[in-house]
Amino acid sequence: MMCGNAKEWMAAAWRGELDEAAEAQLKRHLAGCAECSAEMAELGALWERLGDLPAPEPSMAQHVRWQAALESLARTEPTGHSTAWGSNAWKFSLNALWPRRPVWQASIAASCLIAGLLIGAAWQHEKRDEGQMAALRSEVETTRELAALSLLRQQSATERLRGVDYSQRMPTLEPRVAAALIEAVNHDSNVNVRLAAIDALVRAADDADVRHSLAESLTRQDSPMVQAALIDYLVDSRDAAAAPTLREFSSRADLNEAVKQHAVIAARRLTEYR
Amino acid sequence: MMAQGTRPTQATDHELMAAVARGDVASMSGIYEHRNRALFRFFYRLTGRQAPAEDLTHEVFLRMIRYRHTYQAGDGFEAWMYRIARNAFADYVKKTRLEMPAAEGEMEAVESANPSQFESLAKQQDLATLHRALRRLPDEKRELILLSRFQGLSYEQIGRIVGCETGTAKVRVFRAMKEMGRIYGDLLQEKAS
Repeated sequence: MMCGNAKEWMAAAWRGELDEAAEAQLKRHLAGCAECSAEMAELGALWERLGDLPAPEPSMAQHVRWQAALESLARTEPTGHSTAWGSNAWKFSLNALWPRRPVWQASIAASCLIAGLLIGAAWQHEKRDEGQMAALRSEVETTRELAALSLLRQQSATERLRGVDYSQRMPTLEPRVAAALIEAVNHDSNVNVRLAAIDALVRAADDADVRHSLAESLTRQDSPMVQAALIDYLVDSRDAAAAPTLREFSSRADLNEAVKQHAVIAARRLTEYR
Repeated sequence: MMAQGTRPTQATDHELMAAVARGDVASMSGIYEHRNRALFRFFYRLTGRQAPAEDLTHEVFLRMIRYRHTYQAGDGFEAWMYRIARNAFADYVKKTRLEMPAAEGEMEAVESANPSQFESLAKQQDLATLHRALRRLPDEKRELILLSRFQGLSYEQIGRIVGCETGTAKVRVFRAMKEMGRIYGDLLQEKAS
């Protein structure tokens, strides 16, 4: 056996795809080839250790999305396969071009009929598939929203962060999700979730209600990092209406000095935007 | 050897897919039950992230429904499904090429179903290094290792999926393992120095 063949056989041996005779042949080669023997020992051990890598699990949200998608598809799937081509297809006249001889007439008619059936069937099929998939993808977006909302309510902070991540992958930030993110900014016990939620709400910065909610949230926060992130949010969204809130906030006695300075500067900048 | 998430009843999935191809889309729910975990793990190990892995898994089932008319019994269900999975991943890579990839060693924490596997800190660190080595492989090589080691596919099936002879698939997996071994060794040396 050549070393080149041995490599192929080693890979087969890792997966247990060698029969007894081949295994014996490989062993004989390894006994006489130090290089292949070392490779087999090293890579074989690595192959085995790969089995110790943890096996991740999909979240419940994935199952929820799938169920919703399948139900949606079941609603849009028509029963049976309609390939009928209506008799109305022959309403136009071909008198000017119509041949006199019956054999040509029959040939042309048959050809047209077959072509029509094929094109019609393909078109109907494609159209039905496109409609189903469009409905399905729309449903997927809805289920993504449901998944985000569901994850944001989980006990584990990791799951809630996934919920925020889901919300960021929605094409548009739906009001229900925006409300859940604001709720997270206001009440989530985990600072990372609050910070992530603020980032996710950047897409809703055009919404005055969202900006107002976050300006109010500023006064409730105890984490300097979250306070600074909210101040940045209000400045980046150029919400001049938040300037008084920031001024009042900056006068709080219990405020971190750096945050206080940040708020003073932010209030000044927002006043300039008026 | 039976890899995680695979099952020996391929004929059943073939029958279910044949039913889906005939228009019984509800049969896809049986395939989902059998395959979603394995597909999710395949994508998780490719992307290093939970959310894209879930999106890609979802996408594969949608594509299987969409392309149900292309399903042919001769090729085997698994080979067909993983060809769709590879295409979905290739599209994902194109779409996210400009985005920041998951940094090496920064894969999202995996909550193992078997905590006893992680008894010692040293073993945890070793597995993290192994994970980083797998992540550093080019996508096409990582795919080969995942298909052969974790997805439980034979080299014949892998050959059909990636479009090469069975022998070539074996050699490619060997080379991918060799490269991973080299990366793993480099990472261990980095840690030691």
